[in-house]
Amino acid sequence: MTARVLDPVDIAIGWDRLISIVDEGAAALIRTSFSTLVREGLDLSVMLFDARGRMIAQSTKCIPVFIGTAPVTMAAMLARHPPQTLQPGDIIVSNDPVIGTGHMFDIAVMRPIFGGDGIAAYAMSITHLPDIGGMGFSAAATEIYHEGLRLPIWKLFDAGRRDENLIDLIALNVRVPDQVLGDIMANVSCIEIVGRQLIDFMNEVGLDSLAPIADAILSQTEAAVRAALTAIPDGIYANALDVEALDEVRRLCCRIEKRGDRVAIDFEGTGPCVGAGINVPFSYTKSMALYTLKCVATPKLPNNDGATAPITVTAPVGCILNAVPPAPSAGRHTIGHFIMPLLFEALAEIVPDRVTAGSGLINMMTFQGRLPDGTPVTTGYFAAGGFGALSGLDGRPTTPGSSNMGSTPTEIFEPLSGLLVESKALRPDSGGAGQFRGGPGQDVVLRNDSGHPMTLFSMANRTQFPALGVAGGMPGARREHLVNGEPIATQGRHELAPGDRLTLREAGGAGFGPPSARPRALIADDIARGFATRDGAARDYGIAQDAAIGPDEA
Amino acid sequence: MSGSSASPLASHATGSLRLGVDIGGTFTDFALVDAQGRRVGVHKQLTTPKDPSFAVLEGTRRILDETGIALADLREIVHGTTLVTNALIERRGARTGMLVTQGFRDLFDIGKEQRYDLFDMRLLFAEPLVERAHRAEVPERLRHDGSVLTPLDEEAVRQAVTRLVEHEGIEALAICYLHAYADDAHEVRSREIVQALYPQLPISHSADVFPYRREFERWTTTCANAYAQPLVDSYLSRLEDGLAAMGFAGRLWVIGSGGGLMTPQTARRYPVRLLESGPAAGVLMSARFGVESGRDSILSFDLGGTTAKGALVRQGKPLRAYTFEAAHAYEYRSGSGLLLQIPVIDMTEIGAGGGSIVSLDALGRMRVGPRSAGADPGPACYGRGGTQPTLTDANLALGYLDSRSFLGGRMALDVEAAKRAIGDGVGKTLGLSLERAAWGIHDIANEDIARAFRMHATERGFDYRNCSMVAFGGGGPIHAARIARKLRVPHVIFPAGAGVMSAFGMLSGAQSFETMRACPRALDRLTVDEIATVLGELEAEAAAPLLACGVPRLQITCERRVDMRYFGQGHDIEVPLPPDVAPSAVLGLLPGLFARRYREIFHANLPGPVEIVGWKVEASGPAPERFMTSPNSAGVSGNTIKGERTAWFPSLGGHVTCPVYERLSLAPGMTITGPALIEEPESTCLLDAGDIAVVDERYNLVAEIGAAS
Repeated sequence: MTARVLDPVDIAIGWDRLISIVDEGAAALIRTSFSTLVREGLDLSVMLFDARGRMIAQSTKCIPVFIGTAPVTMAAMLARHPPQTLQPGDIIVSNDPVIGTGHMFDIAVMRPIFGGDGIAAYAMSITHLPDIGGMGFSAAATEIYHEGLRLPIWKLFDAGRRDENLIDLIALNVRVPDQVLGDIMANVSCIEIVGRQLIDFMNEVGLDSLAPIADAILSQTEAAVRAALTAIPDGIYANALDVEALDEVRRLCCRIEKRGDRVAIDFEGTGPCVGAGINVPFSYTKSMALYTLKCVATPKLPNNDGATAPITVTAPVGCILNAVPPAPSAGRHTIGHFIMPLLFEALAEIVPDRVTAGSGLINMMTFQGRLPDGTPVTTGYFAAGGFGALSGLDGRPTTPGSSNMGSTPTEIFEPLSGLLVESKALRPDSGGAGQFRGGPGQDVVLRNDSGHPMTLFSMANRTQFPALGVAGGMPGARREHLVNGEPIATQGRHELAPGDRLTLREAGGAGFGPPSARPRALIADDIARGFATRDGAARDYGIAQDAAIGPDEA
Repeated sequence: MSGSSASPLASHATGSLRLGVDIGGTFTDFALVDAQGRRVGVHKQLTTPKDPSFAVLEGTRRILDETGIALADLREIVHGTTLVTNALIERRGARTGMLVTQGFRDLFDIGKEQRYDLFDMRLLFAEPLVERAHRAEVPERLRHDGSVLTPLDEEAVRQAVTRLVEHEGIEALAICYLHAYADDAHEVRSREIVQALYPQLPISHSADVFPYRREFERWTTTCANAYAQPLVDSYLSRLEDGLAAMGFAGRLWVIGSGGGLMTPQTARRYPVRLLESGPAAGVLMSARFGVESGRDSILSFDLGGTTAKGALVRQGKPLRAYTFEAAHAYEYRSGSGLLLQIPVIDMTEIGAGGGSIVSLDALGRMRVGPRSAGADPGPACYGRGGTQPTLTDANLALGYLDSRSFLGGRMALDVEAAKRAIGDGVGKTLGLSLERAAWGIHDIANEDIARAFRMHATERGFDYRNCSMVAFGGGGPIHAARIARKLRVPHVIFPAGAGVMSAFGMLSGAQSFETMRACPRALDRLTVDEIATVLGELEAEAAAPLLACGVPRLQITCERRVDMRYFGQGHDIEVPLPPDVAPSAVLGLLPGLFARRYREIFHANLPGPVEIVGWKVEASGPAPERFMTSPNSAGVSGNTIKGERTAWFPSLGGHVTCPVYERLSLAPGMTITGPALIEEPESTCLLDAGDIAVVDERYNLVAEIGAAS
């Protein structure tokens, strides 16, 4: 294969195989992980880098935060341990948010893959650990030092010998040491599989170096991204939006400069950090920006360094989108999820058919209390708002944007939590009106059925600032929390007495295009599907009350 | 092999022959074997989608004529059908109503609250099978332990169903209540009320269809069952009437998704368990070949017209799953379909088959599938107006297929049309020679299939590098050796009759029925009595359909499995109980069995408490007799080498003239060294340079795959 120039068939096969190799590593990791976020939320990523440290393949299963952070981690690891000092059997780890993914739950595990005359490639995997000590997975910390064990770049294995001091250090500092160490070792096995498969592949096709195939992958991807960017009109597009930030409001600002085949995104003007673990380290900000651009320009391209080369992302140090220690950041997604709508709204002007109107986003809560038999429990509950409408497509009901955690079935959740789900129904009229309607949110009624007091921890958003429409579409309904019918604060903690009813009114997605352009038949269909009421449709679409717009729904 | 005397079915049957019938998308396949385990004949007939029973009846008549067998000699017909799969895809089922727990009517619209692709903003999801106006809420509520929170409002049931029938015109009903897996009393009472009002209305209820926890999937499954009931009922009636009119006096069986045989009565009650029944039968056959050749781990590989399917067999048993996704709504994407819970043989399927269309993606890379040219117009080489290149066109252009002997010579292929389509479709754009472009198509399909299998095996902790592949389907034997090489699978078994393997598979399934009970309970609170009760009930439930069709109780074996986990974990693992342990001894064994199984999967154990999530029991009748898939005349006549052909073998530098063997002339003990092509009417085997195949005593070709080319 190296004796001649690679043709399109060689490249297609080789490229597929490299992705297949990291996907196989990811599958093994998902199967053997203890962390529910890894198993159900796919909170992981597996990557392959060439001998020059360029990322050439990333697992298909991966969440947005891992786009673009791993190359930074890799560069820092190689700066600390230069390639010429590495030996077979070395494995390097770190969970430092500054060079990683923005919070300490994510550990990066990396090994050089030796083949031929030296290092042929590097494999890295990153997973969300079940625990990292400190205050747990919450926004409660006021400094990064509260948030748990921060590991510098460290050799977990030195030429095949495990550093038992490091193992003991981790075991002493986390709540569930067996699970945490089990997950770290699952990462070690994962990158061993990746290494073995890569060497087998290189032998199979007679390749002594990945360089030619890596060059082709990176240059073809970069060319495709540049071509997609070129098709977007040049200009400077700016936007600002306000978000709830624990008793305060923060303004997020962006400026997107598009010139030829390049894009520069800057978050200048964004407000400062707050004293809660919702600040966003820059690596997370950059990932969400790259993710948003990928959704707009090249959603179907495999991810690698070529895809990110034409894009630069910057944010002033110390703003809430570029938090640096000691600012805490365990719950960075709370603010970070707004980066996508912030950028979408800016881009709506030029590529309206590629963006979604604002989404209702996901509501992530934690309940702490006891089961009826007295067993203490902590349970997460996720409920999605409606998805934003797109040009040509109504927003889907109750579909998460930015994050993607999924919901727990009522039949599973009730015995785990001591709560009773009294009802879980569409929230009619909550999706913003428009030529294409925003997705409705939902109304969930939870009753404390445990016989014990229970504490709700919540960082719900979209309570003051609804999802905004695009091209004349209307905003979605705002999120509300009520207890026994009375509104409560949506960020912070709240005590639920036995028998208390908590109502979650989940936010709607926004509409796309003017409501006047929505055909009457589709409005009738919205009513039949329970997405809208007759009265709501009459109000939102300016239809006379007596006009026939479909049957009333019981 | 002792003929009919040992069979529990002998008393019902007039003859001794058994006929397997598999209805596929393009062809309906038939395989006939006798009581001595001999293959009597095979037959292929075009499927008649409007009324699939027509092709079944017509083909039955034909194969009997061709083999000179009288209908009275048929002891049984075992049948698999895509009827339910297609009804869900094409939405041709009944107008279905639903009674649902108050507060949960919108469950299908709310969905799983998860996207299956993070980058694509335009995802589509399967529309609910039951439209909202046909879903009626009923005041009733159980807690998760089965205790009653709100009693069933019987009057509300009457009013709701009356409205659904009289005003909405429903033709079938699904009753879906929360926590019905824990206690089915409300669902059963509701069914009684509805039956009293509308005795003809088909009813499915969620605790009966498959009582798993997770309401979204259980209710979707229940609605799919109701949706398919009238259709399956009328189809089976036409088939039974047609066969009776022809004079058939044996038994008719339908094969289920899990590979077990069901009576038409059971199939009418649980039509959702007929999904994917044909492919399941193929996997049963792979398992059987594995057992017969003394191989423990098998990768079953089936390549048909539109898709490639893989399944894994461990210690002679196909791996099972209890979730299945039907009728994908968006680009064949996993997550876009209907999420069902039924016992199935765990298969992976990708859109790469003979008819898969080749195109270029945004990066200018060649892609094979998932769009398919289907049977009409079909690949360019079919000469029916297709102009886009397909995998079959590439295999023809590369010399792997013979334009004159395809389907035993019944269908001539147009080589020039294939080459034109490949050149115009992709070759010229990419600046590739015809051979290089065609090879690209062939090899990319191999790579895609290898990738899907690698993922499927890895996700299940199955070491594919030490297994053997069994290759079948029209296209499987052309691709198998090279896919095996990519996967480092050391052996490939090419069974005779590969092109009609699913029809043979019908004849290797035993009667069986699986049932389960979800009853979450901490291990330390479980009592011996409780275990005895639940296992006793489940064994009786699972055995009932078998006893009803005459299987003697002593010939029924029950396989018992327990779903367990550490308390609070999101995922269960399945722990099989040893076969001969009495319920009273189970409690003492569970902690050790769980710990061992957990360690096998995750290489570690945890300190926490353990809980039981549910119990499963599968009752099976005796396995049918062994039979040959190779005709009796095999190896006794004709020349082994029927000619030679120039075909493309890149590992040898390009065009090579290789021998073409006549499969039916090969005798046990013969050795064939690659490169070689071995043809039988329904399929062609390809051996690459370095592969060495031996014909075993059952006329299967067993190939050792050479090292990397």
